[in-house]
Amino acid sequence: MFEHGLLNLTNWIANVILPTLAGLLAAGAIYRFSKSHPYSELAYAAFAALMCSGLLRALEAFAQQAGVSDPDRYWLSILALTNWVGNVMLPLYGTLQIVMAVVHFAGLLERMTIGEAWVRNMASAMMCFMLSGILRLAEAWIQNGTAGVR
Amino acid sequence: MTTPQFLSDLLTLLFDLAVPAAMCTMVLAALALRQEGGVNFQVGGSFPRWMLWSVIFLTLPQLLSWFAAQGIQMPAHGGSVASPWLAGLEGSFKSFVTVLVVGKLVPLLASFFVLKAALDGAQGDSPLGSIITAIFLLAISSTVQMMQSFNSGSQFATTDMLASLWNFVSGTILPEAAGLAVVGAVINYARHRPVMPLIFSALAFLSVSALWSLVQAMVR
Repeated sequence: MFEHGLLNLTNWIANVILPTLAGLLAAGAIYRFSKSHPYSELAYAAFAALMCSGLLRALEAFAQQAGVSDPDRYWLSILALTNWVGNVMLPLYGTLQIVMAVVHFAGLLERMTIGEAWVRNMASAMMCFMLSGILRLAEAWIQNGTAGVR
Repeated sequence: MTTPQFLSDLLTLLFDLAVPAAMCTMVLAALALRQEGGVNFQVGGSFPRWMLWSVIFLTLPQLLSWFAAQGIQMPAHGGSVASPWLAGLEGSFKSFVTVLVVGKLVPLLASFFVLKAALDGAQGDSPLGSIITAIFLLAISSTVQMMQSFNSGSQFATTDMLASLWNFVSGTILPEAAGLAVVGAVINYARHRPVMPLIFSALAFLSVSALWSLVQAMVR
């Protein structure tokens, strides 16, 4: 029964509380963006809060690279984590950086950082009114992600 | 020389009260768990000590059978208490533990720790320790039943039960704790706190048996 209580506690926090907090984190990210403060941690945290069970499945997949009693299991799980970060996350982040480089070079986001702030304020206002839609979009992406890379 | 009936009854009484005593030591273990953090415990602290006493109480007959196997004459025990006064004492203590301690006091203590969790959160501390202690308290009866099922009945039942508990914690509890570690990593990331220690801890929780095999391999 202790294991049931612990499992239910984990499920409740990860599948009920954190998805609810994702809305609050996204609202905080929009607020910090409107103030031209760093906001990316809150935005990524809002996304991660919706993906808690998926992140745990990923860690379980890393840990299951070796047998239960294999002495190399911990090392292999860390190796799998490193491979995943280097071969999946970094290319995605690099693609994002290329897009940001093109956008910044083209001056498209110039109004966000220097000069007049009206573009940033307009974008913040739009995101404030669209927050529930943004959250539904993130959930749809995550739901599609459960089917794997297509 | 035959053992006097009163002493035989007293011996039977003590053996019959072993399981209720184990329930009481489990309650004390829960309180010690919260005192030592709730999520973790101190190696030289009271929690491991009270858990060990619970295991000893649950395997008392088997522990004494080890002495008998060494050739030490052990008095025979078994059956029920013949003396009505001692039988009444046994019934009263069992009723005290079952009705008052487990039935009334333990849920009250668990609710107190839920209240404590809310206060811990208000103070900025993690409420997880108090919540886990509350769950531990509410699961005491089933935990003792589970520990009794781990009783191998042999002379080494005490160590067998401890080994089974280790397997249960490493194979069932810690993988569930890995989920809590991932939740903690997400919350820490939002709060600009270190994330990687929790990620590595989650991987370690999923690999405890393998880490034990690794340590054994290092020694070989």
